[in-house]
Amino acid sequence: MDFLLGLTQLIGVHTILGLSAYVVLLTGQVTIAQAGFFGIGAYIAAMLTTLAGWHIVPAMLVGASVAGVVACIVGFPALRVKGLMLVVATTAFGEFVRLFWFNFDYQIAKGEIMVGPEGGEGFKQIRYFPENGWTTGDVALFIWVILIAIMLALWWMDRSRAGAVLRAVGEDELAAQSVGINLTATKVTAFAVGGFIAGIGGGIYAHYTTHIEHANFSVLLATFAIAYPILGGLTNVTGTLFAVVFIQGILVEGLRFMGDWRNLLFGALIVVAMNVRPRGLIDERVVMIVGRAFSTRKGRADA
Amino acid sequence: MEFIDIVLSISDGVLFGTTYALIGIGFTMIFGVMHKINLAYAATSIGGAYVSWAISTLVPLPAILVFLISAIAAGVIGWLVYLCCFRLVPLDTPLTTLLATVGMLIFIDEVVVHETDGMPQPYPAIFDDVFFEFGEFGLRGDLLFIFVLSFAAMLVLLYLLYRTRLGIATRAVAQQPMAAQLCGISIERTNASTFVITGMLGGLAGAMIGASVGVLSPLLTLPVTVKGLIVTVIGGLGSIPGAIIAGLMVGAFENLFLALRGVTERDMYVMLLLFLFLTFRPGGLFHRSALRD
Repeated sequence: MDFLLGLTQLIGVHTILGLSAYVVLLTGQVTIAQAGFFGIGAYIAAMLTTLAGWHIVPAMLVGASVAGVVACIVGFPALRVKGLMLVVATTAFGEFVRLFWFNFDYQIAKGEIMVGPEGGEGFKQIRYFPENGWTTGDVALFIWVILIAIMLALWWMDRSRAGAVLRAVGEDELAAQSVGINLTATKVTAFAVGGFIAGIGGGIYAHYTTHIEHANFSVLLATFAIAYPILGGLTNVTGTLFAVVFIQGILVEGLRFMGDWRNLLFGALIVVAMNVRPRGLIDERVVMIVGRAFSTRKGRADA
Repeated sequence: MEFIDIVLSISDGVLFGTTYALIGIGFTMIFGVMHKINLAYAATSIGGAYVSWAISTLVPLPAILVFLISAIAAGVIGWLVYLCCFRLVPLDTPLTTLLATVGMLIFIDEVVVHETDGMPQPYPAIFDDVFFEFGEFGLRGDLLFIFVLSFAAMLVLLYLLYRTRLGIATRAVAQQPMAAQLCGISIERTNASTFVITGMLGGLAGAMIGASVGVLSPLLTLPVTVKGLIVTVIGGLGSIPGAIIAGLMVGAFENLFLALRGVTERDMYVMLLLFLFLTFRPGGLFHRSALRD
């Protein structure tokens, strides 16, 4: 049971990370910086709870806000370029953040032991949950409440004017510009929102693993962050959740009986998935079929 | 820090930078021809080097043959990457090929980890006992060999591109695929040959990285990917001379800050260099204005 709860926690956090990339991908920009924002949120939230003794919710909000502000600042120079250049710029930014934490040392004595981030050794003893008597179930519930709130917010945004603007920029920049959409503002806003969401995910991640280090926030995590929404399809937010369940639940956990062949299959299955379903697992066609199924049932009920 | 130490670290960095230049050329050429990013490219290089290492453990070979085998193996892997991630995937959605190459990167890395249990493996070096001294100044023999070999490879590539029919076809497809097709050039064949050629360059670079570091490790893939991409952007997308100069620059810069600030902070300064370029010269060193994105 604990294993399953742990898995739901993991799926929750990775879905939040994936959704942070989803917002940016809607505008057609590929970002490999999400692991950096995730790391900023993780370190700051963990420092506020362990060193300053804050409650977890304000700590996470502050961490996420810092990540969002950094995203906004980085967004202006980075989003002047696009395509491959943006991939490189965001990769470099993510690596820069990772190296920053690798060289960051700030420890204070707390009772017998020293706590705080310690360079390459990482940040140990983030014991907010055990100290305050949260059980694994409580933590899983906490994560999923936040995740569902984020998904509902994004779902609503998708159906509102803001979502239409984001998708317009993603589909065709020139056309979007010609109807008066400010490209830079749209992209930077999406980038900042993405940074904020990634920061929230990072805050949760730091607290439930209790130990973070710079290597957790590498380019590999960032590629996973964009892999979820792309694999799931950008039609709506549920795609990202499905992709995380597919990757973390089925590929990573379900194939565990295969030993170290699992990792081999993992990469190969992503390649196969992209060959078979180039527009994602939940593409427009699936959405249409599901939507039609529901609407006919409703129609019959009315009749 | 003595002045001569700074000069030495910069010169070593320039020599090693030729490997970055080769990787950068690979990224740039694939982008130039297909307008797509191949994130599996550095994994191709390291994969080729690993194949040559595996063969050299079975049969004892002179180091230069090991390098050649690495180039050929990486050429084959490059073709496989083209087949799995580009040929069979619809090309109108850029995100699809991007993610497919990420999957390929993970796949190649994991094959290597699976075969070697993730342990670093010793890689044969050439002229590692030679050291040229000019008074206080000196050059490492193995790095000098890498420099010469890389430049030979670049010259062969430039000859191929500007003096052969294959090169004309490649440049034609890069400029305007539709017009090239109307002239009877097979786009698929040209794309495939680009992947094989860049794969061979990458295999050579992978072998030389292995030889100068002394070991091969799957941990090399991600840093080489990042450095190669940085070189591509600093040099200017699609520009081969730009990639060469940017490669040497990044090598020198990296080695200088390795000497000044230590290994943990080294890469931070390379990223800062990139951000300086993005802010003040987003087109790179050799900017081509009318470039399709």
